[in-house]
Amino acid sequence: MRLLLIEDYRPLQQSLAKGLREAGFAVDATGDGQEGLWYAMGNEYDVIILDLMLPGMDGLEILKKMRSQGRQSCVLILTAKDTLQDRVAGLDLGADDYLVKPFAFEELLARVRALLRRGYQARNPCVEIEDLRIDLTTQRVWRGPEEIQLTPREYALLEYLAMHTGRTICRSDIWEHLYEFDSSASSNVVDVYVGYLRKKIERPDRPALIHTIRGRGYRLGAEP
Amino acid sequence: MMRSLRTRLLAGVIGGMILLLTVFSLLLYGVIRSALVNQFDTSLSSVAQILAASVERGEDETEEGFDARHMSELQEDETEQGFDAEQMPELQDAGQPTYYQLWGPDGTVLAKSPLLGDRDLPRAEGLLEAPVFGTSRDEGGRPQRTVSLKLGPSRAGRGEENGSSSTNERAFVLAVARDAGDLQGQLRVLRWLLLLASVGMTTLSFLLGEWIVRRGLGPLNSIAAEIAAIRVDHLTTQIGAGHVPAEAIPIRDRLNELLSRLEAAFKRERQFNADVAHELRTPLAGIRSTIEVTLARHREATEYRTALCDCLEITQGMQSVVNRLLMLARLDARQISFKREPVRLAELVNSCWRPFADRGQERQIVFENCIPTETTCQSDPEHLSMVFSNLLDNAVEYADAGGRIWTTAHRTEGSAEITVSNTGCRLPPEQVSHVFDFFWRGDSSRPDTGAHCGLGLALVQRLVMALGGNTTAELQEGGVFTMRLILPITPWK
Repeated sequence: MRLLLIEDYRPLQQSLAKGLREAGFAVDATGDGQEGLWYAMGNEYDVIILDLMLPGMDGLEILKKMRSQGRQSCVLILTAKDTLQDRVAGLDLGADDYLVKPFAFEELLARVRALLRRGYQARNPCVEIEDLRIDLTTQRVWRGPEEIQLTPREYALLEYLAMHTGRTICRSDIWEHLYEFDSSASSNVVDVYVGYLRKKIERPDRPALIHTIRGRGYRLGAEP
Repeated sequence: MMRSLRTRLLAGVIGGMILLLTVFSLLLYGVIRSALVNQFDTSLSSVAQILAASVERGEDETEEGFDARHMSELQEDETEQGFDAEQMPELQDAGQPTYYQLWGPDGTVLAKSPLLGDRDLPRAEGLLEAPVFGTSRDEGGRPQRTVSLKLGPSRAGRGEENGSSSTNERAFVLAVARDAGDLQGQLRVLRWLLLLASVGMTTLSFLLGEWIVRRGLGPLNSIAAEIAAIRVDHLTTQIGAGHVPAEAIPIRDRLNELLSRLEAAFKRERQFNADVAHELRTPLAGIRSTIEVTLARHREATEYRTALCDCLEITQGMQSVVNRLLMLARLDARQISFKREPVRLAELVNSCWRPFADRGQERQIVFENCIPTETTCQSDPEHLSMVFSNLLDNAVEYADAGGRIWTTAHRTEGSAEITVSNTGCRLPPEQVSHVFDFFWRGDSSRPDTGAHCGLGLALVQRLVMALGGNTTAELQEGGVFTMRLILPITPWK
């Protein structure tokens, strides 16, 4: 899942980006409003974490411009202002959630995950495909009764495929949602990671779940 | 000392009313009394004139030898002949008896009303050129009014020509008295009437005055009630929006002005508090997330070290915000005492630059201290170095890489003018006036640690003000930003 973090206070930006990356997200981070808007307009982010008081351009201004240009990414506002007016103004301009500083990092993670589920219309924090079970909250995966250990990147790939169960996703879409803007990885890594994931998930005695659609991409789900 | 406006107004009205009523009553009483007494005297006088005329008629008949004996004869004649005093109806009125008494020139009683019995009427002393009126009491204590007049002025005049004494002792004196009990009674009734009327009027005017004053002061009371209803969070309420009397309009207007000023002050205060909260919450969030993310898994020792260093840096930034806030609060509360001692400015500026020298070098900024070494001024070295530290900190932060920072000082009329300038200012000219605002930052990215919280220049301005000077910010051609301090010189060498 790919996130955009727009926060001008460098220590906060750095620690949040680090924490989010360690939680398996691909994170683009910037401290400037103008640059933030440019990022938001150029990429399809799953969630944008937006500070309100920014140099270059105010957070609310970014939100307004983004929404008026039809960008549908979920937006979580981070603010040090906690008056009712501040909160209402953000939500009215199209933000999906807000957090008042200082906050617990766990809470930020939980809210980001909730926004992701909302983005993919998955209310249930548990996704089940055949006998594959993914707990989106704890990020644990089971095949039948057996728990499978995944690296963050592998988990992120599985989660993204699971959010689009039954649909074919092209490599570039997967790459965009798994890798940061300044990543040097080529889109071939998607094939590599799909290979890793197959090794861990597929069982010889069980039906295959990850299907390669030649020339188009990958699909997660039972055989049609 | 009467505190209530209502009591004062009421006391004034009632006091004035009592005074006016008293004066009016006394005047009215005087006029009526004199009219009544006049009427009484006129009637008494006319009786006396008739009596006198009848006595004189008798005199004329006996041309020569007008003496007491003669008179007594005459009187006897009169009694027999025409001087039938008892026949006059006025002398017969038992309800208001009238008495007379006639004295001869030697003071002997020639005649008197039989009603008098053995009493005498008081004999008037003096010349009696005109009838003399007097009030006396009879033996029963009843008041009576007496008129005394001299008979036969021609005779008296002749007596004077003969060289004899012209006093009334030589003349016949007639006194006529009438009971004045009714008159006194009428006057007594009049007095009571006036007193009662006055008391009644006073009472009525008290009640009326009370009502009028209460009504008149009503708008003041309603304004007071409006003021009492104002709450700190509702200072925008304007009082006296309804009908207000002309006299209260200035009070209302001043109060509304005061309210507006208070509202503005409270608004500034709220904004300031919100800003302070914001300034402290953001670094707090930084510390918290740094710690939480670091603790989320096992890490290498160097990673912990980096996290701790980050937290330390944030803490130092917060400490500087808190220190500046405290300093500003103390300056506002005038809790800081300033020393006065000679300060060598060039030396002070050099020592203030030292902590920033590395940062300046990193960005290839050239620093020039153009203040002459011998320049001194009388000031507080500690606070003055705080001023220059903040100015240089600001300059080194906002100067362009490879730019220049320089300081100058020269003497002007009664003061020292010191400037701190830097190149590379990207502020739009219209924003220069905001540099002294709390938590205001130029429209550029916030530095890493948040040490530039937008308090430095606000602190400089207030410190210089407390040192007796003032600060201005100027933007010159080519992006040169200059802070100009005017400090008083006492003395400037």
